[in-house]
Amino acid sequence: MNTTTQTLYQSYIVEEYFLSEEPFYLPIGDEVELFQAAYEQKIPILFKGPTGVGKTRFVEYMSYKLGKPLTKVKKHSSQKSSLSRNKSSKNSGQNLPLVTIACHEDLTASDLVGRYLLQGDSTEWIDGPLTRAVKSGGICYLDEIVEARKDTTVLIHPLTDHRRILPIEKRGELIEAAEGFLLVMSYNPGYQTALKDLKHSTRQRFIAIEFDPPPRDIESDIIRHESGVNKQTADQLARLGEKVRNLKEHGLSEGASTRLLIYAGKLMTQGISPRRACQVAVNWAITDDFSIHRTVEEVISSIFE
Amino acid sequence: MTQKHKEIDNTILSELLKHPTKLIEEFESALEIISTTKDLNELNVWANLGLSLANQTSRSWETAASYFYSSSQIANLIPHTYFVKWSHCGANLCKKSPQLATSYFQASPNVMTKLRSRHIETWANFGHTLYKETWKSGRLASKFFNSSPELVSSLSMMEMETFVNFLDAISLKSIDTAIDCLDHCKKVFTSLDKNKTAILSISSILLETNWKEVPSFLKISSEMLPEIHALQRPRFLDIISCFQESENSSNIPSTTLQLSKSLSLIDQSIQGQIIGLAEQLLTISTEATSEFVLTAPNNLQRIDIGQIERWHKEGLNILLKNIDAGVSFFRVESSHSQQVIESLSSSVEFEKVKHLIEMYCQALAGSEIQIAPSEDLVDKNIGWISNESPSTEGSIVYLPSLIDRYSHKIDNFAWLKVVSTHQVGHLEFGSFGFKFERPSTIFSDLRCELENRYSESSMLKNSEKYVPATLISNPHSVTDMQRFFRLFDDKQLALDIFSVVEDYRIDSIIKKNYLGLKQSYNTIQTDSISTRPKIKSLPAREALVEFLVLLSLKQNTVIPVPSKYSKVAKNMSLILRNFRTIGALVEDSAEATLRIYSMLSQVPNEDLSDDEWQDLDSNSESQEDIDQPKDEDVLRDIIKSQAKKQEENNADENQYESVQNVDYRGDFKPELVQLLSALRNENESEKNDQNQVEITQEMIEELLKESADVNNVENSRSTSSSSQFASNILKEASSRLDTDQLSGKVDNLHVEEKGGALDPSEHQSFVYDEWDFRAGDYKPRWCIIKHKNMEEGNPEYYSATLHDYRALVGQIRRQFELMAPETLRKVRKLVDGEDIDIDDAIEAMIDIKTGSGPSEKLYWRRNKVQRDVAVIFLLDTSASTAEAIEETRNPDDKWEAPNDQTEYMAWLRARRGEGTRRSYKRIIDLEKEAVVLLINALETIGDVYGIYAFSGYGRENVEFYTIKDIEEAFSDTVKRRIDRVAPMHATRMGPAIRHATTKLESQDARTKILFLISDGRPQDRGYSREGVEKEYAVHDTKKALDEARDKDITAFCLTVDKNGHDYLKTMCEDIGYEVLDDINTLPRRMLYLYRRLTT
Repeated sequence: MNTTTQTLYQSYIVEEYFLSEEPFYLPIGDEVELFQAAYEQKIPILFKGPTGVGKTRFVEYMSYKLGKPLTKVKKHSSQKSSLSRNKSSKNSGQNLPLVTIACHEDLTASDLVGRYLLQGDSTEWIDGPLTRAVKSGGICYLDEIVEARKDTTVLIHPLTDHRRILPIEKRGELIEAAEGFLLVMSYNPGYQTALKDLKHSTRQRFIAIEFDPPPRDIESDIIRHESGVNKQTADQLARLGEKVRNLKEHGLSEGASTRLLIYAGKLMTQGISPRRACQVAVNWAITDDFSIHRTVEEVISSIFE
Repeated sequence: MTQKHKEIDNTILSELLKHPTKLIEEFESALEIISTTKDLNELNVWANLGLSLANQTSRSWETAASYFYSSSQIANLIPHTYFVKWSHCGANLCKKSPQLATSYFQASPNVMTKLRSRHIETWANFGHTLYKETWKSGRLASKFFNSSPELVSSLSMMEMETFVNFLDAISLKSIDTAIDCLDHCKKVFTSLDKNKTAILSISSILLETNWKEVPSFLKISSEMLPEIHALQRPRFLDIISCFQESENSSNIPSTTLQLSKSLSLIDQSIQGQIIGLAEQLLTISTEATSEFVLTAPNNLQRIDIGQIERWHKEGLNILLKNIDAGVSFFRVESSHSQQVIESLSSSVEFEKVKHLIEMYCQALAGSEIQIAPSEDLVDKNIGWISNESPSTEGSIVYLPSLIDRYSHKIDNFAWLKVVSTHQVGHLEFGSFGFKFERPSTIFSDLRCELENRYSESSMLKNSEKYVPATLISNPHSVTDMQRFFRLFDDKQLALDIFSVVEDYRIDSIIKKNYLGLKQSYNTIQTDSISTRPKIKSLPAREALVEFLVLLSLKQNTVIPVPSKYSKVAKNMSLILRNFRTIGALVEDSAEATLRIYSMLSQVPNEDLSDDEWQDLDSNSESQEDIDQPKDEDVLRDIIKSQAKKQEENNADENQYESVQNVDYRGDFKPELVQLLSALRNENESEKNDQNQVEITQEMIEELLKESADVNNVENSRSTSSSSQFASNILKEASSRLDTDQLSGKVDNLHVEEKGGALDPSEHQSFVYDEWDFRAGDYKPRWCIIKHKNMEEGNPEYYSATLHDYRALVGQIRRQFELMAPETLRKVRKLVDGEDIDIDDAIEAMIDIKTGSGPSEKLYWRRNKVQRDVAVIFLLDTSASTAEAIEETRNPDDKWEAPNDQTEYMAWLRARRGEGTRRSYKRIIDLEKEAVVLLINALETIGDVYGIYAFSGYGRENVEFYTIKDIEEAFSDTVKRRIDRVAPMHATRMGPAIRHATTKLESQDARTKILFLISDGRPQDRGYSREGVEKEYAVHDTKKALDEARDKDITAFCLTVDKNGHDYLKTMCEDIGYEVLDDINTLPRRMLYLYRRLTT
């Protein structure tokens, strides 16, 4: 009976999970400054952009960055100061929690806020992820917000204006958001339909940062860093990405994301031939349309030997 | 026994009883039936006749029995007089042979249902003819009667007569053969629709030449004809009969067998085309014809039908010159024939890869690129002449329509890919984005400097010495490219240099960026060297340009150069070398051009003898060897060359002729492209920009006159003046729709209609009232709707349209899928339902525990939510929908509808007689495309829908065509009908709406929608009243729409008539309508509106 149990996995309480390493993120425009400014002013943020352009990575990066409070970012501070890092504070417990919630059709308000659970004869209240983020003062990232049920907006509204409170109806409580709390949502306008659109009353509580696929040279650097391919291959992959995106609106609903290009690069570093890697990671991943397959196939064979 | 039975003469009965009992049984059962229709007298005659039949010979009672039986069957079918005639014919036959009569009577019940009564005698006589008083001929005649039911149903009386005569003729040779033929013919006739005589005439000729072959011919025909497409069978027989007429008709049955076997191996859909091609050969040589058909199945496995046509054309030419050679060509025995097939099978046809290459180019360029065969560009007559070389004019890439350079398809395709990449490369890497003032990256900028020098020297006296003439006459340039080329006096030379350098730049960038293409690129470059002219045969200056070309195609080679000018050559190769680094811009090409021009303009274009050449290894020399000309020298040289040109026109010099294009690089016309795009931009920006100089035709003419792009064109095409070019270019650039053209085409003058109510006499015609708003009452039964199915065309149209709109199709499909009902939706928190929801139950438990009142709504249920929509789309197919939307490509084409009525009809016929494919779009085409997209979308959501087109001429002729009936399922038939939707007559909307309303009324959907798509106001002959021509029609339409609304039908009008607001306001007072500003948005808008209407 003395066998020691070995934990094969690491588990964290949601608000206590911090990124231990700085996520790799290459800013394309001024999104870092915008985010910092909004964070300081407690303005909620909405990310718009297609899949795989780095929305989630960006929010991770920002939470890491903002969680290393170093010299606190002041208004009007130059870009430089935000980049300087105070290494001693690394373990000072000032980390900024990041709670990511992937929204889906059945996500209800109580999934976010929390609920009572039966425990034996009594009941116990369990905080939902949003409540935890509000309490601990972290960033709450609601991914693909349009997918969530409409009643979630009831929670979002009071949290995103001057009140910054989270009503917990069932317990008759109001929780005031902790200092560092910020609500960030993402939303992909490509899926935008008449039925699933954000209401303006919700939408206009956020500033919107638009994410586009990065320009070729930046994308090339990202691919090189993430997948470990050499510069030439990264350039080729970035070129492929650019060309495939040109086909958008010609039958392709969504262009090849940076993520897919990175996958292709990763396959190549494992010794898969470039054409084959692009075929499986890019061509077959983006569409089932035969004529687009043929086209992309030709583009691939033009770019890669 | 019935009353009548008793009344029959007893003597007859007793007589009958003498015969076997079978007879009296037949008689009695027949009497039961027949007595109801015949009176006593007739019955007695009838019975007597039967008796006399029975008494004829010992076995003739059987004939009588079958007489009684058959008469009971047919007594009701034919009038009595014919019945009597029929009986007598039988009796006459019986006198000759009772067996024959038996067959006659037995066949009668089946024959009479199909045979006209008046032909009875003729028919019986056929039997007579065939019967020759012998046992065998009796068998033939009986057989004839036995087969009669089938024959009568497939042959007319005339044909039957021919057939009997034929049988008679063959029976003279051999009766057995005749019997065989009869059997085979029966089958053949059923497989032939009409033209049955064809097979008979072949047989009768055969009968005279070689009668023994007749049955085998017929046998083969009966077996093989079903293998051939029904429509092609007569044509096939025609071919056979031609064979017969030709002299060497050796063995018709075996020829028939071979040919039909060969045809049967070919897909039925293209048999017609093969036969058509064979027919072309028929008049020249039957042998070639048969060889063509015989080799067709084999050839079709290698090349497709379109290619067969090319091959056939080639063979036909040979055949016309030499019959024997032609025959062996079609036998695929001549090596030429094999080569043709070889190259066709490996060639890449433009049409087949068009979509692929188009998308490929779009991907590369990142903008709308169209692909077109290069013939199109030449047709436009805006400066391009060669229809074999690839080119681009900014948004369209022109490629040759057939690529058969290599013996393998892969190589040909690779060539095409390299070519299109090169053409798109011009766009992708900015050849046409040349800016005069943008600095280059490699060279120091001399362009502006040179321009300044010119303007300084133009102040001097006799400035024309130093300044190019064109620069003095008109210092303002339309495009940057023009401004650049104006710096040179010899524009042709400058353009040649610029083309080579720029092409080389593009090639280098492509080879660096598209590594996958590098190999085929190199192969093609090497190959194109072999097509270059011999450098040593050229005079000095041309040789040096050629040297530049060769260098740009392949580096590190040894190229002969004139020894005198080896320094120039070395210098050029050094300049060119700069472009191997990435990052060179088009401006660098321009600077390089300046430098090379300065050197080459010094070189006289003189002939050189063979010993004046030396080999130059372009790779070996190092930078230090040569002193590159200083910038100052370059400028000086150019200006000097200018002066020199003016002074001496050296007689020794050859006129400089530009070098031949490199085949894969094709035509490069930077000036024209910049001009076109400048014009296009001007059109788009609507002259908002005050600073923008308006480009006039004069300015373009000016540009064209001096442009080297066009100069070489003019030489070869003396007829085309530059003003014609200019106007063509203007036309090409502007694609705005002239709104004036859209105004009413149909004669709108009032015609007072006489006459009263109409009656729909024909099948599928309906009558409707019409509202007379001046009288304030309906005109009863005023219009006749003729409801027909749309003719059927090619189903390919449907899929082709979907392909063209693939981007939109995807979007629409997604949007409509979202509209589609989730047939089962789980509804939670109900008081009652299928089952308890566990979450809600727990919540309730918790509420109980925490002391608050639990909710009772614990149940969930699947609710069926169903869309219940029925919709009818009404398409206006009036003549005005034939309006072209884009600028008409062919300016001679007359789309103006004449006002005179007779002329109008003639015009209309001519319109419809034309081919269905046009290079430009008409309103109707967009309507059709909208319909295709609509069907595609509606099929995903499963709404009930019908699509109809309407038109008409006059009130008794309102045509209403079904494209898809509201109760019909979507099928290929519908696809085929869409193809045939075409502009027709006028627009009498009222009755069409009323008819559609009636159709919708019969549907029991909850939401009913009537969607009207039109291109103008309603109008028709007589659709008016004196003084209120326009209002009458509008008011009737309004009334019809109001009627629809009263029947709970939501109507919606969509019009593409920009002036639509004025009458639509009246017509659709409280009904939704929309006027489309841009007709091109029709398909998209229509679907959007539909979505909005139904959700």
